[in-house]
Amino acid sequence: MANRVQIPGRNSALIAMIADEDTITGFLLAGVGNVDLRRKTNYLIVDSKTTVKQIEDTFKEFTAREDIAIVLISQYVANMIRLLVDSYNKPVPAILEIPSKDHPYDPTHDSVLSRVKYLFSAESVASERR
Amino acid sequence: MGQEEEKGCSENGVESKEEEQDEQENNVLRFLDSLDSYLVLMDSLSSTLRQGWMELASARHSMGASRLNSALFDLKHHNAATSLEVNHHDDTTMQQTYFNLCKWASPDTQNLCSKETKLEEGELLQRKASSPQIRHRGASRSSVTVDDQVQKERSKSLSVFGALVSPKLRGAQLSFETALETLVEIANIRSSILCTHDQVQEGMKTMT
Repeated sequence: MANRVQIPGRNSALIAMIADEDTITGFLLAGVGNVDLRRKTNYLIVDSKTTVKQIEDTFKEFTAREDIAIVLISQYVANMIRLLVDSYNKPVPAILEIPSKDHPYDPTHDSVLSRVKYLFSAESVASERR
Repeated sequence: MGQEEEKGCSENGVESKEEEQDEQENNVLRFLDSLDSYLVLMDSLSSTLRQGWMELASARHSMGASRLNSALFDLKHHNAATSLEVNHHDDTTMQQTYFNLCKWASPDTQNLCSKETKLEEGELLQRKASSPQIRHRGASRSSVTVDDQVQKERSKSLSVFGALVSPKLRGAQLSFETALETLVEIANIRSSILCTHDQVQEGMKTMT
């Protein structure tokens, strides 16, 4: 199963990443790294020197590119640009918040779950009934 | 006659309301199932990633930090060996996106894969017609070649960090490959959550 290969069709797309060095290293080992002719990569390594503006600009760039289908973003990085991530509502590219070494996954901050959690709120049910 | 027609219409109205309620309940069940799957997969992803990070840390310990860092990343033009196939499913009630992972699919592997698929189909037909003891050396040779190509792509990915790498680094590579597979499943479940959420919302609006 691990060696079975799928043939990519004409609508093949990339996985982009905004994460810490170890997470990016791991996924590059898995073969998702792409560098185009302008030497633009499909990943951004976030460290202590990376500014919030750089992260925002990279997020906007990745979500605007047509050749990217999934954007992986460490949840602690997503928290730095939470408004931008939560306001994103297109189906493609899909934004997936992933844990990092020092920050485990927190479902209360996940943008997908935040979008749908109001359905479980007692207030929303009561207001619908009124 | 008029009373019978009215009775028929009201029965039809009641039936269609019941059908709407059943449909809404099915939508809610699908939505809750998707949510549950999403959380289970995120948990599985967390453990796979933890394993991958541990293996990376062990590899860094045995190879040295200077041999395993981002300064060694290949910044020359190259295409991703692992990519995604995106398909959209449209029907009258919903539009859902499906992601399919294509691992280690370089152009060479693609050509070999198409040959392998044709040989496998031919093999199946022949096996049905004849004895199962007949060996098809052509098909098995092609699948071995595909495996070789996959291993070649894996080695190429590892070679960024030198010719001789720690077995832990190979282990980390496999862990992150597994994490990728889980992530694609999560992406598909996310698509299902958003789609069923919209259906449940629509249902709530029509029922109020």
